[in-house]
This record gives sequence, C-alpha cells and structure tokens, in this order.
Amino acid sequence: MIMLRNQHTRKVVLQAVYVLVLLAILITGVFSAQANMAAQGLELSFSFLWKATGWDMTFSLLPTSSSDPYWWYLVSGVVNTLFLGIIGLAGATLVGGVVGFARISSNHGARLLGTVYVELFRNIPVIVQIFFWYALANHLPSPRRAIEFGGALISNRGIYMPGMNVEGLYIALFYFVLCAYFIGLIWFVSARRFRRVDPAKRRKVVWGLSICALAIETMLLYIGKPVGEVLITYPELKGLNVQGGYRIQTEVYTLAFAIAIYGGAYIGEIVRGGFNAVGRGQHEAARALGLSTWQEFSRIRLPLALRAMLPILTNQYVWLVKATTLGIVAGFSDFFMVIASSITHSGQTLEFIGILMGGFLVINFTISSVMNKINKAVALKGHQLRM
Amino acid sequence: MTTLISAQYKPTVWMKVQKNYFKNWRSALLSMMCFAVLGGIVWSIVDWGILNATFSSTARHTECYANGGACWSIIANRWRVILFGLYPYDEQWRSITACFIVVATIAFSCFPVFWTVRRLSLIWLVGAASFFVIMKGGVFGLSLVSEEQWGGLALTLFIFVGTVLIGMPLAIMLALLRNSKLPVISKVTGVIIDTVRSLPLISILFTFALVLPFMLPDMLVGEKLYRVIAASALFFAAYQAEIIRGGMQGVPKGQEEAAQALGLGYYQRITRIILPQAFKNALPAMINQFVTTFMETSLVTIVGFFELLASANAAYGTGEWNFAFVEVYFFVAAIYFAFVFALSRYGAFLERRMAN
Amino acid sequence: MYASTNAVEIRNLQKFYGQYHALRNINLSVKKGEKVVVCGPSGSGKSTMIRCINRLEEHNDGSINVLGTELSDDISNIDEIRREVGMVFQHFNLFPHMTVLENCTLAPMLVRKMPLAEAEALAMKFLEKVRIPHQADKFPGQLSGGQQQRVAIARALCMQPEVLLFDEPTSALDPEMIAEVLDVMTSLASEGMTMICVTHEMGFARKVADRVIFMDAGEVVEEGDPESFFTNPQNERTAAFLSQILSD
Repeated sequence: MIMLRNQHTRKVVLQAVYVLVLLAILITGVFSAQANMAAQGLELSFSFLWKATGWDMTFSLLPTSSSDPYWWYLVSGVVNTLFLGIIGLAGATLVGGVVGFARISSNHGARLLGTVYVELFRNIPVIVQIFFWYALANHLPSPRRAIEFGGALISNRGIYMPGMNVEGLYIALFYFVLCAYFIGLIWFVSARRFRRVDPAKRRKVVWGLSICALAIETMLLYIGKPVGEVLITYPELKGLNVQGGYRIQTEVYTLAFAIAIYGGAYIGEIVRGGFNAVGRGQHEAARALGLSTWQEFSRIRLPLALRAMLPILTNQYVWLVKATTLGIVAGFSDFFMVIASSITHSGQTLEFIGILMGGFLVINFTISSVMNKINKAVALKGHQLRM
Repeated sequence: MTTLISAQYKPTVWMKVQKNYFKNWRSALLSMMCFAVLGGIVWSIVDWGILNATFSSTARHTECYANGGACWSIIANRWRVILFGLYPYDEQWRSITACFIVVATIAFSCFPVFWTVRRLSLIWLVGAASFFVIMKGGVFGLSLVSEEQWGGLALTLFIFVGTVLIGMPLAIMLALLRNSKLPVISKVTGVIIDTVRSLPLISILFTFALVLPFMLPDMLVGEKLYRVIAASALFFAAYQAEIIRGGMQGVPKGQEEAAQALGLGYYQRITRIILPQAFKNALPAMINQFVTTFMETSLVTIVGFFELLASANAAYGTGEWNFAFVEVYFFVAAIYFAFVFALSRYGAFLERRMAN
Repeated sequence: MYASTNAVEIRNLQKFYGQYHALRNINLSVKKGEKVVVCGPSGSGKSTMIRCINRLEEHNDGSINVLGTELSDDISNIDEIRREVGMVFQHFNLFPHMTVLENCTLAPMLVRKMPLAEAEALAMKFLEKVRIPHQADKFPGQLSGGQQQRVAIARALCMQPEVLLFDEPTSALDPEMIAEVLDVMTSLASEGMTMICVTHEMGFARKVADRVIFMDAGEVVEEGDPESFFTNPQNERTAAFLSQILSD
C-alpha cells in the first residue's frame, strides 16, 4: 500500500487496472459468444461472407438476388444507405436553407412561418413522422385511380415519374457529368485562385464549359437510347398496372421526404445560428462603406455565416446519415437492415456486429474528414469564429 | 442622453407592425403570403379537426366519411390501448398514477431549489421507485403486473426515467475519465465514447436486445426491457459525457489550481469546484440532450416494445379502423409534442436567464 | 539536518518544459517569518518557482523541503504541504458559484474537518482582517477586483497556513485597487507571516521585504536586502531591469 502513495506508481497502476478491466469484459464477451455459437454449431470466422444469402432484398440500387453472397448484400446495403443519405441530406439542406432564411428575415411574417415549421417538426420524434408519411403514402389511391400531377402518377405503389428511355449505364454517366459540370462551375466562380482572371476571359471559360457539358450530355443520351424509340416515356395505366417512366418506391421517397423535412428543421436552426454569429460590427462596417443590402449580404454576411455553420453542420450530417437506419420501419434495405436480417438468417452475430460498427465508423469518419477539409479550406486564417 | 431620447421616442404598436410587416410593398406582399399560408393551415386543421369532425364513440367509417373531417371516434374507442397498451383494464388507474409521478419528477427537477446532487438523485430515485412499485405491484395489496404487460405512455416514460437514472451517473463518469490527466485512461475512454456516438441508436438497441444474450454469461442477461434501457442509457451517456466535458473545459484552469492550493483532494475538487461550474456551463445543451433522448425512446418500438408509438400503430392496425391513421398519429404526436415542447421551452428560458 | 527555523528550503531545483529549461539550479531558503520578494522580467521562471513549492508544477530535479516535509512523489507529503502553504493567485481564482463566506469555509471544513460554526467564525475573523466582512454573503462576481483579491487572501488565511505564496497578486488589478491589497499584505507581514511574493510592486518590496530576489532566464541572478538591492545592484541585468521598472 505504501507503494500506492507514490504519485507516479499510482498513475501507472490506475491506468493498467482500467485497461485490464475493459479487456476482461471484452474477452469474457467474446468467449461466451463463441461458446454460445459453438452450441449452435457455428464458428467464429468470416468464411460465411461468400455463402449465398437465400433471401431477397426489398429494395436495392445494385442488382441482387437470393443466390448472391453475403458480402454483395452488405455492399448493396451500404450503397442504399449512401443513396438515401445523400438524397436526404440534400433535401434537408435545401429545406433548412429556406427555413433558416425565413427565420432571419426582416419580415416578421416569414419569421413566424419559419418558427412554426421548426417548432412543429423538431419537437415530434422523427420515427413518428416516418410512420406517418409511410402510412399516408400507403393510403394513396391504387395505381388504377392514381393521382396525375405534371405527367407523374402518384399511387400507393409509388410515384411514377416521366423517365428517359436510356440504358442504365448511360443514365448514370449522364448524372455524373451533370454533377461534375455544376461542381466545376461553382469551383471556378468561387475559388480564390481564379479571382484575378479577366472578366471577359471568365465569361468565355463559363460558356465553353457549358457548351462542352451540353454536347457530352446530348451524345450520352443519343448513344444510350435504343434505336427507333422515343427519348422520354410517360407513365401510363395499362390494365391494373402502370408502365413506362420511373417508379420511385414508396419507402424510398417517404424516407427521403421525412429526413428532408425533419433534418430541415434542425439545419434551419443551424443556418439561423450561423447568421446570428456574425458580429453586428461587420454589418455596420459594410453599410458604412456604402455596400447595398444585397452586396452586404452576399459578400459579407453569407460568407462569414457559412464558416460559422460548417462545424455544426458536420455533426448534423453525421446524425442524419445515422437516422437513415430508421428506414427499417418502412422496410427499406439499408446497411443496418441487411445486417439485422443477416444475423437472423445466418446466426453469425459477432461478426456482423463487428461489420456494422466498422461500416458506420468508416461512413462517419468519411463525412467528418470531408467536412473538416472544406472547413479548413475556407477557415479564416488566424481567426476563430464562435457560435 | 440616450434615456432622454428613448423617453421621447416611443414607437407605437402600429409603427412596429408597419416596420416589421409592411416596410415596403415587397415586404407587405411577403407578409400577406405568409399569413395566407399560416391561415390556410390553421383553417384546414380547424375545419378538419373540429368543424367537420366526428366525435361520437359509436361512429365508424361510414359516418366519419360522410362528415368529411377527422374521425375522433377512434381515439374515443382506442385511447386506452394507446396510453396503456396491454396493461390490465381494471388496473389502468395505476398506469395513470405512474405517469403523473414521472411528470411530477420532471417538474420538480426543473426548480433550481432542487439543484444539488443529493436532492436531484433523491427525487429521481424516489420517482422511479414509486413508479416501479405502482406499475409492477405485488406489494401493498396491488396485484402483480409483469413488465411484458406494460405499454403505451407509461412504458415510454419508464424507459426515459430508466435511461436518465442510469445514463446520468454514467455520463459523469465517462466525462471524468475522458478528461483525466492520465493519457491511457483518457484515450481509451475517448475511443469508447466516439464509437458509441458514431453508431446509430437503433443498432445499439438491437445489439443489446437481441445479440447481447449471446455475449453475456447467463446470469447477467436479465430482462429484455432492462437491457434496452441499458442500451439507451449508454447512448445517452456517450452524448451527455461530451456535453459535460465541454462544460468542464469551460471552467478556467485557475479554479482547479486554487482548489489544489487549498489542499482539496481529487474527489472534493471534482464534486465541489469543477462539476458545479461545468453543469452550469453545459445546462442548456444538457437539457437539449434530455429532450432528444425523450424523443428517441420511441425507437424501442423497433426492437419489439409496446410503447406509445407501437400501441398507436396497433390502435389503427385493425381493419375496422385502418382508415383513421391520421387521427391516431395526430394524437400521439400531440402527446410527444406536449412533453418535448415544454422541456425545450424550459431549456431556452434557462439559457436566456443565464445569458444575463 | 535542516535548520528548524527554515520554512522553505529549495536546493538545486531544475524544471524543464520539454526541451525548454525553465528553472536552472535554483537555491533558496526562507526562514520562518521571513518576507521574500521575487522579481524579474516575464518568463524568467519566478511564477514557476513558487508554483513548484506547493506542487502546482512538478520539478524535475533537486529538492524542495517545506516545514521539514520533503516534497516528493509521495501523495501524503504533497497533501500535507498544501495544507500548510497558502497561495494567492494573479487572477484571484475565487469559486464563482459560492458566496464569499462559502469560499472561505470550504477548505477548513473539507480538509481540516472543522465544524460549520467554527469555520464560519474563523472565516469572519479573517474577512474582518482584510476589511471586507460586510460582503460575506455576496458572490465573487459582485465584487470589484481589489475586493476579490482581499477575499482570496482571506480564503488562503482560513487554512491558517505557515507560509503564504503570492503569485503577482496585484498585476490583474486596476491601479486604484492595488493599494488596498498591498495594505492587507503589509499588515500580514507585520504580524510575522512567512511570505514569498512574486510582484513588481517595488514600493512594497522596499517597505516590507527582508530579502529581494531577482530572477532572469530561469536563474537567480541576484539576491540581497532591499536597501542594497535597489540602490546598488551588483549585476547589470538587475540594473537594466530596475531602471526599466522604476523609470515610470
């Protein structure tokens, strides 16, 4: 005991005890899991990943069938999670932007509307909202009595959108080029390194980019279109079902919608907080220099507010991606649901829990590191903006 | 000087309205649009929910459909299922009493008079214990009602109370370990906290409810309900720990040094000097976490519990009432909203009060 | 081994912050009842040195002996020394969530296990000594800087320490409040308290100190009685420092 009175010895002993206790818990867990699995004739290994699953996924972007191995199902699950996550995040950001601007508007009518929105959707559990939207979608009329809206058919089997009659690969390329074009455009217009480029030259580059993109897109559509058929097909009722166009499944759009609506309320608050964090002095200085309201907003307040929002937005994004796991209540086959079904079907509990943790760690880590990179790139040098 | 001016210049209500709503024609147009939208929503809710609604408990689909509005008949018929789940009919007064006990517990802990560790723990322990005794019975002449029969609002509140009761001490412990000066303890705790935080709550609930029995020696497995509460508490604690740690980092270094210089030991420094100030710094964020946790109790419906949301789903699940899902969700959402809105308003009030 | 009259005995003290050599071979002995003023430019290690005496900083080599107790890794020794050595900080470090009275009674009750009534009586006695008894029920945030520092002195006194350490007690204060704190310190000195003060108040040093120590770059450059120290500094660094500090 006298030894423990020594400060340094005590530190070492405390740390060792802590780690040993945790290790003991972990090892006990693994051993009893192994024993339990052995009792069921299973062993702790990852070889089952190459076995066929024997069950079907309710929704998958990638082609899957019940003879596919587990690892392919896991990949499809991750892709589905990312797909829903990206749509949900984009939607939530859009909604949040509108709500946030309404909340900081000088017009108190808009403020009131924004406040009502935020208080309503933030204070009801997201899972209740998902259940509600899902029930609503399932109570829409059947395809035979589908609601027609701008060329789309809305029914309880999903939303049928007018679609392009182009092969899958070319559609994917089409959207890829479209995204690349917009990202390139935004980068060119806003990046510091092009700030000094002569305006006439800038205009030329922008036009050049646009024409190139347009040409590539037309070409892609032309190549991808089956010969002798129309480019755009509209959904039409044939017999008891709908044919033509795209079908967006009920669970997909209700989940994306619910996440956008719910996340929008939170992001709206972040946007408002970001603008409130910009000091009054900045606003006054800009007005004193003679900048107009719009100039002051777009050149001073918006850039500063965006920087203040970014770190909190990162957390919110990670949180929203995690919320996509609630898709299980609508039967959406995301990463988590694939894991859950795999455990019930294969019994390889421990391995799947490990994969689950690993998967989410990787997803979260990716989001935070991308956001941190953006954050670092735009951070004010030598300053810390506090919320 | 300034007081003199403001004494002379008192904007009338009309001037304020003009400035905030009708500054120029664009602003006026926007205001009108916003009020039209708001008015439209309010009107359609009143129209649907009151004016054209059916309240009679004997009405069914045909009568409701004829009236065109909400069919509150389902609530009149099914409110017991929604609020009490499968709890025995004759004993449901106990379920109500238990809910009031929780509400009272939460309300008491909102008064600063009770903000000492001893008083708060006492309130919550007494609250949880009396809730448990009344719900479960088996003593004082109350008949025994096992946990599997608990349901509805009472189960939701029980999970919340359990989460807080286990989660708060755990959060404080994790925050202290994370903030430890011993590098190994701090880092290892950091990894634990970050791992839990990076996982979705539902996956932790799932692991504890269905997978943990595999990993624990038989005697530690316990009832599923308590495993789920433990899972929820762990998740809550990981988030709350980071919030408390944030509060601890807001306490100036000199505070700890002054306490050391006076000869206070580690435990005394933590309980008397660091934590009281850390809690004060972190209070708004902590209340926010309580609110979030309350909403997240609804997730246990996924692992098969008959709490408020699940019993709501069951209430309209029969063919007879299948059409009336909007009314049921409206009712349930209103219950959640009442709790969450009250708590979050209270948090905002505290934040404002502490700011000045 | 140590003269019983020595309150603090520092021998060959070395302190590193990573590569940075913060204290170089410090030797200092302070007799019971002696008042020592430590001065020097910022970054000279004077604060670090007195913070080593009650283990707010850990020294790397050499020995520190306080009232016959060797300061080592032994936790009970550290606790014992902290009980007997009081400290007054530059930024007061009063506990903002406690009243003035609670600030003063906290340590006697927790560390010395004193009953509440006794601790309060003691606290009031020392609050009267620092001439602030009427503020006992206020919170630190409601007091001026000078008042807060006097409370901090009272708080340290409530542990009835043998030695008091002052770490730049007046440098965070507005000029008009410095005098009230120095008055309290002067009257403490006249009652025979052992004091080690890091301060730039040369008037105070001249009036109260038995010895003045000048530190620069982690070493003791010069020490002596105030009279000869101020009028006839031996080292040129001391002279340069004194001319800077006394010029205004």
